[in-house]
Amino acid sequence: MNWFASVFGVALGISGPVLRASEILPPGHRPLPPDAHAFTNARLILDPKTIVTNGTLIIRNGRVESAGASLPIPPDARVWNLAGASLYPAFIEPYWVQSSAAQPINTAQFMPIQNNSVESLTAGGHFGFYGVPGEERDPGAPGVGYELGTITPERQMAAQFVPDLKGAEELRELGFAVACAAPDKGILRGESCLISLAEANPNEVMLKSELFQHIAFDTDSGKENAYPKSLMGVIAAWRQVFLDAARYAEEQGAYARSPKQGQRPALNAALAALQPASEGRQRVILEPGSALMMDRAAKVARELKLDFALVSCGQEWRRPDLVAGWGAPIIVPAAFPSLPRFAQEDDWIQVSLDPLRAWDWAPENAALLRQKGATIALTTYGLTERGDFRKNLRRALDRGLSETDALAALTLVPARLCGAEDQLGSLEAGKLANFFILDGASYFDPEARLREVWIEGRRYPAKSEPPTPPKPSDKPKPKPTDKTRDLEKTRIARSPLEGRGPIASPQAVLIDDATLWTCGPSGKVENGSLLIVDGKIQGAGRVVTVPAELGPKLIRVSATGMHVTPGLIDAHNHSMILGGVNEGTLPSTAMVRIRDVINSEAGTIYQQLAGGLTAANELHGSANPIGGQNAVIKLRDGAAPDDLLMVDAPPGIKFALGENVKQSNWGEKSVTRYPQTRMGVPSFYANRFTAARQYLADWERFRAQGGLAPRRDLELEALGEILEGKRWIHCHSYRQDEILAFLRVMEDFGVRVATLQHVLEGYKIADEIARHGAGASCFSDWWAYKFEVYDAIPYAGSLMHQRGVLVSFNSDSSDLARRLNLEAAKAVKYGGVSEEDALKFVTINPARQLRIDSKVGSLEPGKDGDFVLWSGSPLDSSTRCLQTWIEGRKYFDRELEPKRASALASERTRLIEKAKAILGSADAPVGSDASRAAFFRRAWETTRRLDVQQCQDCLLPRSQP
Amino acid sequence: MIPSPSHRAFLPRIHACIGIALALAFCGAPRRLGAENILIKGAVIHTVSGSVISPGQIWIKDAKIQDVGERIDAPEAVSVDLTGQHVYPGLIAASTALGLTEIGAIRATHDMREVGKFNPDVRSWIAMNPDSELIPVARANGIAHIVPTPQGGLIAGHSGLVALEGWTMELMVAKKPLALHVEWPEMNLDTTPKDQFRDKAKWKSPEDLAKDRRKDLAQLESFFQDAAAYVRARDNNAEVRPQPAWEAMRPCLRGDIPVVVHADDLRAIQAAVQWARTNQLRLIISGGRDASLAASLLASNQVSVIFEHVFTRSLRDTEPYDHLYHAPAALQQAGVTIALSAGTGEMSETEIRNLPYHAAQAVAYGMRREDALKTITLNPAKMFGVADRLGSIEKGKEATLIATDGDLLDIRSHVTRMWIAGQPSSLETRHTRLYEKYRRRPNAR
Repeated sequence: MNWFASVFGVALGISGPVLRASEILPPGHRPLPPDAHAFTNARLILDPKTIVTNGTLIIRNGRVESAGASLPIPPDARVWNLAGASLYPAFIEPYWVQSSAAQPINTAQFMPIQNNSVESLTAGGHFGFYGVPGEERDPGAPGVGYELGTITPERQMAAQFVPDLKGAEELRELGFAVACAAPDKGILRGESCLISLAEANPNEVMLKSELFQHIAFDTDSGKENAYPKSLMGVIAAWRQVFLDAARYAEEQGAYARSPKQGQRPALNAALAALQPASEGRQRVILEPGSALMMDRAAKVARELKLDFALVSCGQEWRRPDLVAGWGAPIIVPAAFPSLPRFAQEDDWIQVSLDPLRAWDWAPENAALLRQKGATIALTTYGLTERGDFRKNLRRALDRGLSETDALAALTLVPARLCGAEDQLGSLEAGKLANFFILDGASYFDPEARLREVWIEGRRYPAKSEPPTPPKPSDKPKPKPTDKTRDLEKTRIARSPLEGRGPIASPQAVLIDDATLWTCGPSGKVENGSLLIVDGKIQGAGRVVTVPAELGPKLIRVSATGMHVTPGLIDAHNHSMILGGVNEGTLPSTAMVRIRDVINSEAGTIYQQLAGGLTAANELHGSANPIGGQNAVIKLRDGAAPDDLLMVDAPPGIKFALGENVKQSNWGEKSVTRYPQTRMGVPSFYANRFTAARQYLADWERFRAQGGLAPRRDLELEALGEILEGKRWIHCHSYRQDEILAFLRVMEDFGVRVATLQHVLEGYKIADEIARHGAGASCFSDWWAYKFEVYDAIPYAGSLMHQRGVLVSFNSDSSDLARRLNLEAAKAVKYGGVSEEDALKFVTINPARQLRIDSKVGSLEPGKDGDFVLWSGSPLDSSTRCLQTWIEGRKYFDRELEPKRASALASERTRLIEKAKAILGSADAPVGSDASRAAFFRRAWETTRRLDVQQCQDCLLPRSQP
Repeated sequence: MIPSPSHRAFLPRIHACIGIALALAFCGAPRRLGAENILIKGAVIHTVSGSVISPGQIWIKDAKIQDVGERIDAPEAVSVDLTGQHVYPGLIAASTALGLTEIGAIRATHDMREVGKFNPDVRSWIAMNPDSELIPVARANGIAHIVPTPQGGLIAGHSGLVALEGWTMELMVAKKPLALHVEWPEMNLDTTPKDQFRDKAKWKSPEDLAKDRRKDLAQLESFFQDAAAYVRARDNNAEVRPQPAWEAMRPCLRGDIPVVVHADDLRAIQAAVQWARTNQLRLIISGGRDASLAASLLASNQVSVIFEHVFTRSLRDTEPYDHLYHAPAALQQAGVTIALSAGTGEMSETEIRNLPYHAAQAVAYGMRREDALKTITLNPAKMFGVADRLGSIEKGKEATLIATDGDLLDIRSHVTRMWIAGQPSSLETRHTRLYEKYRRRPNAR
């Protein structure tokens, strides 16, 4: 028996909206129930704000006929007396991802390259350069569509919809009558449909096909090593696809207008399916997966002029300040982490503060979003045990979500979101007769039994038996205790933003009587003063005039015996990057941007501030010859990602040479991606730069002659900017031969390289580097970690310096970035660079290399007030960093550290006390396996993998526990 | 005398060889004679064990320090004028992969980690490459002795103390075996949810992990019990079939050498202390990231610590940013004897040359300078039972010295002279050779 027949059989028994009471069934069948019903004496919730006690609802033919107080009962209606019960408009589930209900997108971050698989490298058409003919292991997905396996906007849930009877029943038991069935796999996932949760054949339950287009920041789906595998790659792919969709429309339009001219454009089902979303006619649902990515998703969606809604990651409490800027409805899961059950008491020492905060904040997140002005819809997404839904809603209500808001979030808001407010969301006359009946006064009392759900006039009684009335002989049941509930009501966790940000923001600050290392023309000044007004340096030297009008606005710091230097600058840092440092799949990923994935929440920011660092060049890794676009940031801890960016810094890009891009240390399987030799690397650059030059010429021709605009290609656009001198190359490099070959190929294209990074054999060709005009940003003393650095010497920096190369020392590590001043001291030790010049290796020189030296890098009037106060000479290894200031604001003060750390420690202690009290109470919730595992889920913002401990650029296969 | 791999299959013979090797290890005979007879003059002498003599004199003859003081009468000796310079004992780097690996990314050069759980008969010093280019680089910053450390399994093997000078591995060994190395089983639960686990097939539930851990600990315990029974039988001349692994356990179980337990987590450290007390073993903790959290336990049990984490980033999000910078001072103040090391992890074999600056960081964050100096000289010598020969500048000790042009702990200073067992040691390295070569490259402009 096929599915339809079986359901039709069921339909004959109890329901089936297509069959009306007036229809005559064959003899022997039970006649169908009447089409008109009256529900009387109910507490009637007409809409979230309108409640009628003792009201009447009349429905006919699956629609609401009327609802209100004391209505006349139509004579043909069956009457249901609902005394003591409540009647609610049924709920709408806005994000029903059937096959993966308990699996929000994976926020663990792995380096894809460590999987040693080759498939990735040959993933499809436009995206780069995949290996030579015959060596492509996977020529891309078969069939029509986009060239990336994870971009499937043409996938329609309506076309492949198979009712999930069990899932629908689970939702009905919670009061839902309608759901948006959303696709579950990939990045551009396809179109959802709106379905009724009634038991009927698929055609009948379908309310709307092509409801939303869905996008998720999913780095974990798709073939191993297929582009994109990093967050920045996901975002770049998203942008490119929508650009392609817009172009597709133009191209098809031009072809339709003049079908006999030009090359026939290909038909592309994926790009065709994307048209409504691309033109803003279809709403796009974005699941970004983390608090910071919510913000990024909203910004990119606005950049692409999309009509969109966001799926909450449950952790917007990390940065509630960002919410106001999103301007889009938010779909909020009612899934919260549960406390772990440990076998041993001392297992709690493993629990750090962040997961405790995440646990304690979770129930409050929805209320917080409302408080920040967001429109919210609630979803069961992420709950493995849907029975937890009502309990969790009550926890959210206990933390400040109003009942009205919660009801709206389950009815009117999702109805509007789905464009179905004329049919769904309230008991207004004319809407579908979707409602449920509850024994009791409030849905938000999880003990109140949901008796039955009606969908378009058909009744679905709850599976659970009604409670038997107590016999007189029964002892009264003990009332369940509310101890857990009481404990959970109070939040202990503080906002992660508390205690971050500037400690002092005086209008003016004067540092007195210090040894100033100006790193500028004044050199080193003993007993000097530094005056900063409105964030800018006004004076630095032996005598500094303090304008009288500053008066009481001036803070004076007496720094006798102390040293002051400019804020340190790291020309090579990966510490504040979210969701992958490498898009290490394709040989050229010039389209990915670090600035899309700046992690303002990384704990490393504070640690590096505490070592005097104030600015850093956040770079893509070195897994491919052409990596992603960089971002130069200031370490303004507490600021949002975009507010960390140094807007004056010209754009740059990461390139890389040698063993990493040849995949030399990636295992025996990684042998087919081009290039595999140092012969191939320059050829690859020549190929891409020729393509970029051609690309610029195509645009030039278009601007001159008009016609159909060329396809916008984000990879070639970035490379074109290099050719135009607008984007600067920072190139990871080691061996002298590869460096020379690289400089020569760049010179062939008229490109001057900004910096050679690491450049450990640069000392062998210092004159050639100086003549090219590239800067050298080296490690002070790293060597021997792979074969290409066997000739690395700690004298490299001083040798190049002596031959006229602009030299800096960088960290490339979250450890070394805490003590770049001590790295600078190694230039004194190895090769005898003067102390003042050595300090410049980590101040003005990296500033010049990054082209930000007009703003930072030295203590000169007019520059940003970025400086560090040291207990002694910055080059002395027993000196401590005492204070770090950025733009005249104090961001680090060693004296305040005990207070800061003890506040964090006591917060953790109190959270553990709360957790233990809840676990020890008689009514302690166990929680589902998934919710207990969720306690230890790491957010992208806190994934330890990103807290780079060691060289990201080494990409060594050897990993330590 | 040292069994070659081909001899290993032949059990009675290896038995004899180990016996002889052990006998040699404790005879303390000088390995070679120093030809030099010199009197160092004019330098600030950092004796480490006693006070600083400024300026002072050191008489070196027959590989030994004949005398040290303000003025010494040594008429035969050749004067070495080091006016304005500082003299320190040669540095000792405990727990390192130096010598056992050359290039991190090239597996063919790795000799620090054997397979198998129980490898007491593995000896690190025999795999030292005397011509490793990394050795002169470490020496040039003052490191004279190292403890090349076997890794892996539960019982990783034995280490020896190796001087960074000598024609052959046999001539470089200063003491063998030096210690037995145990890698303590991971005691933390891996709480990573399955869906975030890298290799989902290998994910284990916390319960299964706890089971594995209990199994490892039980195996460790029973291994030591069985070994103890074997050693008792051998000591009482009972008839036993010789077993190389049990045989190798004898020095440790007799208390002749310490057992070094590699452990970072608080609970692992606590458990190791308990275990060593029960089994009456002389314990050194190496790693010791959380050691400062167990400082009083370590102090009261007289457990010393090789602390490898001065520059590790804090693990917990509630720790002060300088928690691990300050840990050596905290341990010292609690009465724990500590040595510093750069550990055995990724790139540690090259980082070890910065050992003095690990000590400097400890000074910046609370340790007294003279105590910090001990963590890289006399303390490791004491821990490993060679303080009668090494670790300080005292009459009768081995003449292993370095001279510097400034404070040893200051990065800007240079090591200018070095003597290992009375012999001048070269400070030339692969780095200085390349530096000299390319410094002289004619201008290419």
